[in-house]
Amino acid sequence: MNRIFILTPLIVLLIICIFSLVYLLSGKDPNKPPSALLNKDVPIFESSSLYNAMDIIKTKDIENKKILINFFASWCSPCKIEHPLFFEIRKKYPELYLLGFNHKDPPSDAKKYLEDDGNPYDFVGVDSDGLIALEFGVFGLPETYLINEDGKIIYKFMGPITKDILKNEIEPLL
Amino acid sequence: MKLSHFFKIVNITIISFTIFTFKVCAVESIDERVKNLTLELRCMTCQNQSIYDSDAEFSNDIKKIVKQKFEEGESDRDIKKFLVERYGEYILFRPLINYNNIFLWSFPFILLVFSLFFVIIKTKRNKA
Repeated sequence: MNRIFILTPLIVLLIICIFSLVYLLSGKDPNKPPSALLNKDVPIFESSSLYNAMDIIKTKDIENKKILINFFASWCSPCKIEHPLFFEIRKKYPELYLLGFNHKDPPSDAKKYLEDDGNPYDFVGVDSDGLIALEFGVFGLPETYLINEDGKIIYKFMGPITKDILKNEIEPLL
Repeated sequence: MKLSHFFKIVNITIISFTIFTFKVCAVESIDERVKNLTLELRCMTCQNQSIYDSDAEFSNDIKKIVKQKFEEGESDRDIKKFLVERYGEYILFRPLINYNNIFLWSFPFILLVFSLFFVIIKTKRNKA
């Protein structure tokens, strides 16, 4: 019986240590929680084009397509870092539909940003009040989502994508 | 005790109870409801701050949405569900009581039962 008294707390401690170690080694960043929308249907949205308010894009319009959605803004410095990579994606995967959502940005600033740095997107939707971002669970720019042909969100990345992330995480899904 | 004293005590008790009930049942203002709910929500872009305490843009957006939803007549539960569907349970300081979190919520009680079991056995052995 004495053995049980000594061993039980040690076993409990060991289990807690194993759990902690597994979590630490998993490389998960607790500040970047997985998206609640992963493997779920793309949220319903409707947005007008940055260049023509009459040109509207809706969830229905992106059905049966593989789409890369990127939330960006001219005031977002990390967005500038990842911006050139979208041209690479555009060149390498011409069949992939690139949808950019301009988040809480004055249209003139957004247009100037895309004029200076180039526009890699097939469509630039306006998200002036941030409601589309809210539907996607965006909480910081930039954020990138990959949607498959079934309309499911299969990948989400918070922060600027890098060449490594593109090669190791996004490209295998394309 | 005199009968009059007894009635005084009963009166005071009834009045206190009425005031307490009124306070509990009184309809909170929308701002108070927003405050109470956003204190339970985590600012996703800050370090250990509630949405109520944070001035980050994300927090201000969520405060606006919460207020708007309260004005539309939605309950705390509906709003939490709406936010969890989009941001995950991470946005809640207090994890939900559901199947996924059953171990998290039951572990302290399991630990308590085990501890009591060991204490009882140890005490019995010491007495013997």
